Amino acid sequence: MAYHTGSPYRGSQQQYNNAAPGPDQGFLWNIFQRVDKDRSGVISDTELQHALSNGTWTPFNPVTVRSIISMFDRENKGGVNFSEFAGVWKYITDWQNIFRTYDRDNSGFIDKNELKQALTGFGYRLSDQFYSTLIEKFDRQRKGQVAFDDFIQCCIVLQRLTDVFRRYDTDQDGWIQVSYEQYLSMVFNVV
Amino acid sequence: PYGSQYGGTAPSSAPRGQYGGSAPSGYAPYGGAAVPPGGQYAGGAGQGGPYGGQFGPGGAPGAPYGGGQAPGGPYSGGYGGQPQGGPYGQQAPAGNVPPGVNPEAHQWFQTVDTDHSGSITLKELKQALVNSNWSAFNDETCLMMINMFDKTKSGRMDLFGFSALWVFMQQWRQLFQQYDRDRSGCINGTELHQALSQMGYNLSPQFTETVVAKYVTRPGQPASIQLDRFIQVCTQLQSMTQAFREKDSGMTGNLRMSYEDFLSTTVNRLIGGSYNYCSGSTFSKR
Repeated sequence: MAYHTGSPYRGSQQQYNNAAPGPDQGFLWNIFQRVDKDRSGVISDTELQHALSNGTWTPFNPVTVRSIISMFDRENKGGVNFSEFAGVWKYITDWQNIFRTYDRDNSGFIDKNELKQALTGFGYRLSDQFYSTLIEKFDRQRKGQVAFDDFIQCCIVLQRLTDVFRRYDTDQDGWIQVSYEQYLSMVFNVV
Repeated sequence: PYGSQYGGTAPSSAPRGQYGGSAPSGYAPYGGAAVPPGGQYAGGAGQGGPYGGQFGPGGAPGAPYGGGQAPGGPYSGGYGGQPQGGPYGQQAPAGNVPPGVNPEAHQWFQTVDTDHSGSITLKELKQALVNSNWSAFNDETCLMMINMFDKTKSGRMDLFGFSALWVFMQQWRQLFQQYDRDRSGCINGTELHQALSQMGYNLSPQFTETVVAKYVTRPGQPASIQLDRFIQVCTQLQSMTQAFREKDSGMTGNLRMSYEDFLSTTVNRLIGGSYNYCSGSTFSKR
């Protein structure tokens, strides 16, 4: 029930199913126009947030929306145009497919074990304790599990932290030596 | 990438490389001088500036009540553009102000709580908080504030939380104004550096420039931040400084960290808007 039929876009699951695997331009344009409520040619944070569903009838995490838009917004205009939207669409549906793989009971949430399986599948090797930390931190709805939007946010943060760690870990031994300011710079890149 | 020491990138289509910005070589090495008393960090109890130790280990506000001053000039529209009252603490508490609640905050609470539910949602808070150019506070900062002052973890702020936030706001606003010398409503990297130095942070000008540059909203504009970002930056700085301090038991200013140590230290201290608030009750239904 939650999680709708899996489409991240409200009311568009049918088109999504029909269009799989690769949506064509006409299909995307159709979606774009519906999401771009003010017809400005650019989808803003708010417009995208309203169009997205995390499957639990709560508003999509606004910070996740911001993260996604900033990834594809090349000119720093605070939104995405049609050509950038194609990337956004693919990005979200990719995450959605991943999420669905691990949300086996289709509850709209994944628990700690499922999160562990997902992240292990991505190549992360992390302790059990750290997975507890992740759940605690990203579980905005306080259910002991994470919803789709928070799952994306969790993965984005983890990936950014990993990327920045890698850059400092020049000999790739899994250890870094950093000064106070270097640490802050690393973290401010991410948060 | 599987089985490697680090995690891979998922999904594979995710764009990469967009998180760059600060090359490690850009940072000035630490000199031995200019270290504020008590070590290299700010934010410790009893040292480091006006906001030192304001937050407990959990990021819980511990600000003393009644510390604020009435802001004047262009900032007078702190809440919803309505005129501020007189100096704090002067007026007799109106009838039913509970103990520990700032009387002025109590009055504002009634105004901000537009649906009179007895608690303040993200939406109500966002409507109430404005920068000096009347732009609304950004979502991230509002969410962060709710997280910090929502003791019940319900995604809403009660009167006590709001009162604490209100005092906190006056203090940040006052500090911000002090460095916004031209009253433009924005401070640039240099001014941010001065503000942080006064608070006891020993950071390079390059660092503050990088921080400010991150929040440029329109290309071509000079990099500067408004009050909402300023509060966000200061709060994050405080939290991350605390994270580093806890690990740096010898107070050397340097840390050797493993990958997971780095992850867990940092994730534990994340205080941005996307962490742990109850969205279900925070937003009104659309």
